[in-house]
Amino acid sequence: MNEHPNQTLNGNPEVTQRLRIAVVGGGPGGYAAAFLAADLGMQVTLIDPEVNPGGVCLYRGCIPSKALLHVAKLVEESQQAKNWGVDFPPAKIDLARLRTWKESVVKKLTGGLGQLSKQRHVEYIQGRAAFENSTTLRISKTDSAEVVLSFDRIILATGSRPAIIPALKLDSPRMMDSTAALNLEDIPGSLLVVGGGYIGLELGSVYAALGTRVTVVEMLPGLLPGADRDLVLPLHKRLEKKFETILLSTTVASLKEDGAGIRATFEGASVQGKDREELFDRVLVSVGRKPNSEIAGLETTQVRVNSRGFIEVNKQLQTADPYIYAIGDVVGEPMLAHKASHEGRVAAESITGHKVAFEPNAIPAVVFTDPEVAWCGLTETQAEKENREIKVAKFPWGASGRAITLDRPEGMTKLLVDPQTERVLGVGIVGAGAGELIAEGVLAIEMAALAGDVAMTIHPHPTLSETVMESAEVFFGTSTDVFRPKRG
Amino acid sequence: MESVIEFKLPALGENIEQGDLVRLMIAPGAAVSEGQAVMELETDKAVVEVPSSVSGTVKEILVKEGDKIKVGQVVFTADNNGAATVVTENRRPEPTVADVAKPQPPASKQPESQPAPQRTRSTDVPAASEFRLQELGENISQGDLVRLMIAPGAKVSEGQPVMELETDKAVVEVPSSVTGIVNEVKVKEGEKIKVGQVIFTLQGAGSSQAEMTRPQSQPVEHVSGQHGARLAFQAAIRAEGKTEEQALPPDQPMPRPAAFSMPIQLGKVAGTEHREAVPAAPHTRRLARELGVDIYEVKGTGPGGRISEDDVKAHAKAALTAIASAAQAPPRAGHFIAPKLPDFAKWGKIERVSMRGVRRKTAEHLAESWNTIPHVTQHDRADITELEHLRARFAPKAEQAGGKMTVTAIALKVCAAALKVFPQFNATIDMEQEEIIYKQYIHIGVAADTDRGLLVPVIRDVDKKNIVELAVELSQISQKARDKKITVADMEGGTFTITNLGGIGGTAFTPIVNHPEVAILGLSRSRMEPEWIGGKFEPRLILPLSLSYDHRLIDGADAARFLRWVAEAFEQPFLLSVQG
Ligand SMILES: Cc1cc2nc3c(=O)[nH]c(=O)nc-3n(C[C@H](O)[C@H](O)[C@H](O)COP(=O)(O)OP(=O)(O)OC[C@H]3O[C@@H](n4cnc5c(N)ncnc54)[C@H](O)[C@@H]3O)c2cc1C
Repeated sequence: MNEHPNQTLNGNPEVTQRLRIAVVGGGPGGYAAAFLAADLGMQVTLIDPEVNPGGVCLYRGCIPSKALLHVAKLVEESQQAKNWGVDFPPAKIDLARLRTWKESVVKKLTGGLGQLSKQRHVEYIQGRAAFENSTTLRISKTDSAEVVLSFDRIILATGSRPAIIPALKLDSPRMMDSTAALNLEDIPGSLLVVGGGYIGLELGSVYAALGTRVTVVEMLPGLLPGADRDLVLPLHKRLEKKFETILLSTTVASLKEDGAGIRATFEGASVQGKDREELFDRVLVSVGRKPNSEIAGLETTQVRVNSRGFIEVNKQLQTADPYIYAIGDVVGEPMLAHKASHEGRVAAESITGHKVAFEPNAIPAVVFTDPEVAWCGLTETQAEKENREIKVAKFPWGASGRAITLDRPEGMTKLLVDPQTERVLGVGIVGAGAGELIAEGVLAIEMAALAGDVAMTIHPHPTLSETVMESAEVFFGTSTDVFRPKRG
Repeated sequence: MESVIEFKLPALGENIEQGDLVRLMIAPGAAVSEGQAVMELETDKAVVEVPSSVSGTVKEILVKEGDKIKVGQVVFTADNNGAATVVTENRRPEPTVADVAKPQPPASKQPESQPAPQRTRSTDVPAASEFRLQELGENISQGDLVRLMIAPGAKVSEGQPVMELETDKAVVEVPSSVTGIVNEVKVKEGEKIKVGQVIFTLQGAGSSQAEMTRPQSQPVEHVSGQHGARLAFQAAIRAEGKTEEQALPPDQPMPRPAAFSMPIQLGKVAGTEHREAVPAAPHTRRLARELGVDIYEVKGTGPGGRISEDDVKAHAKAALTAIASAAQAPPRAGHFIAPKLPDFAKWGKIERVSMRGVRRKTAEHLAESWNTIPHVTQHDRADITELEHLRARFAPKAEQAGGKMTVTAIALKVCAAALKVFPQFNATIDMEQEEIIYKQYIHIGVAADTDRGLLVPVIRDVDKKNIVELAVELSQISQKARDKKITVADMEGGTFTITNLGGIGGTAFTPIVNHPEVAILGLSRSRMEPEWIGGKFEPRLILPLSLSYDHRLIDGADAARFLRWVAEAFEQPFLLSVQG
């Protein structure tokens, strides 16, 4: 048995001696937790198989995908510029150079995190951790040495990985998951993207901009399941032009290696009467992510894993084992980097004895396609499901000066407002730069702002941020740029 | 047709066998209908309203408030006005007063609904020759077969898990309801299986024992394939050159393959129960947590009901006052209920006199002290033989000044000195702010026995006065108390209390701390006792001391030190001049 000096089993330890904390997994959840724990005076060890912290988000998620999407947007704008009297020749892609640039972005950021770890005296161990018991880890280091270390508390931040459906498991170099797609081995002539969620659409957009003919197949009747339909519509329209085909209410019945490519057979609404088979150079499977809860030795602890594979935690991110906390993708939806980081900070503070809880009023979601789709707080879909009375105020970007100067009038900003209190409950935005704009909505919801507060806050002109203010004015029927008299 | 029915206390929940009857909500003659709440019961876990499972007119009530009631005990009888109502014993009451949410780690949920037990005897139906998928629960008509645990030729027995099924709600192990040897398995892993579908057939149907179809064996939720997955993972990471993705086993079929959906309401997070977004800024919510206030109970005074930091503080204060006055207020359901009194008139003549004035105040205040302060009393004795000389010396001076040199007057001086050395005895605990308030002044209350009852006049700045001044002031204020001229202001602001029962007698007692003070010193009658001094017994005058203190703030060792210090000060009065 382990000795646990200075602590009580269920409560928080008295911080008389420096607490030893291990953080398993160096993603946005793990490094945020590790850094704050160090700042709070704990002695921290961070363990991850990569050379530096960063996790999925920096090595094979948010960051590389956004770097590539930036390039994709540039390529498209250079073509759109023809309409504005500037004619560029078709873009020539130097794939090796593009890859190097993307990798340099990743290196710069992960290297920076490595630096920050050192400055904070966080001990970084490159390796993989397994449990010996609730407070002891056996770490297989990358240099093949093995160490066994004991800690006062352990934070699990092991993240998630791409889900693989057995029916679509095909051992072929033409098959890709998101990680492989980000490696940019080549620019395939044709690509089948299985799954119309944000990862599929983002990566599909990158390949489409590079010149690939992209087909997206989604089982449900719309792209981005879960998002409000009016936010998805402008994106859908634009993607229809960029992509070869979008197959909705359709599933992939089978995938077969077929000399020149992979033969996919479709089933469902969009293929009736048509040819049910098609050949693709590559297939990207993006059907969701699975939590990495199969941590070796976890059965020696009290940690409980639910039937979907998520580690069960309370609002302090503490697992059923009082010595172990868990954060990020491995504890549940939404699987997003900023949620992971916030949880990481709550866990670290909770361990030091602060009375904290993970109880946000809004978590923003952003899809970095072009146009971007972003939302936070209550959605119309959810309000409908709950039969909840709300008022929706929409401001179409066709009335925004800034949107017109950008030649991007297809966007829309909407507020979901409580009719009684006039409190802002949700914000949804589709359009260029929506991802940056949504932050104001999150702040409004967290501060319990009323529509009037948003309407009476001066926004700079001409910017897209004015659409947030103007949608609040629409709520009162007094928008400067939209004439929509108040009813009743 | 009229018949008498009984209502028995139904099962209240796991491991709860009994409860205290807090409130009865029915009376004889009252009409009661099924589902109607008939009483409030306090169990270890919560106060619950118990609904009736019968309808009719209440005839006789067999329990009373304050009783401990066991599950199955008859609570009341009722005339069933011809309505065909059955006594159900196994309904669970809905707890309406929720328990205070404990930050317990989430437990895996059991499947909620249970298929109604059907007992079909083998004599009624031919022996089962096959196993069909039984009902899995409400609204679940099918599931994905994740894992088969049997094969042709295998022996199965009733209750043995034969497959793992993933439904919308959970992965469940499905137990067999038949016994025999598997002949043919009719399903494959990865398939969707509907309730009623044949899973496998048995060899020589009905050959072995007479089987029963007994679908009441419950599917058990568990974590699917966890262990196997972990072993595979362990093996894979030992093998070199594999990426995480390659190392891991392929995923189990997802409930809805090929759909990747963003969670609809992003405020919802697995593992945390969802609550509406509360109209308060993050900082305000944090303050509430720190004060132990449930922000959802705070009324916001800002626009649109927005909750400010002041609202949270006001709520915390109100809650605290409520707790403090709870001891005074008439007992409410749930907590600190004075047990119901018996009818004393049964045994003889009694007189009821309303409890007013000092007596009621004393009762309330002492009950509050007793309820909030964990009391400990430390006893000691002081040899005051020498002190008697001192007293004799000062007595004429005091008398001249119009006072009386009593042990209490000297005790005032001694305690003031001790409180300077041990400031935590001159403090108050602020549980709301989680702070200790140290008072920089020493005002000592002296309990006085008057014909109006117990009064505690306070002598101010005791440390700044000499013994003669104290003796005079004490005589004056005691007189004021007896003359009923004492004001509330005269009794406020004390930091410590002395109570001297020595005039009456006794060898020791356990005084109650005068909240919000944290300690009180009791003096009993001093008497001559033989003391072993220098190898022989000597007659010495011994004063018994009893110190009660608030154990939240004061540790036992400190209390012992404090009282020893006081005893020594009595024994060596010159210490007072040196240290006090
Ligand atoms: C293509 C793509 C694009 C994305 N884009 C966005 C986006 O734009 N915005 C956004 O918010 N989110 C995005 N995400 C999601 C985001 O990457 C995740 O939500 C985030 O990385 C989760 O952080 P985490 O700390 O929980 O875990 P991860 O980032 O998954 O990190 C977990 C780390 O733990 C390591 N690990 C696992 N087991 C062990 C062990 N036993 N011992 C030691 N280390 C271990 C893993 O190797 C990994 O490095 C994207 C994801 C993908 C795939």
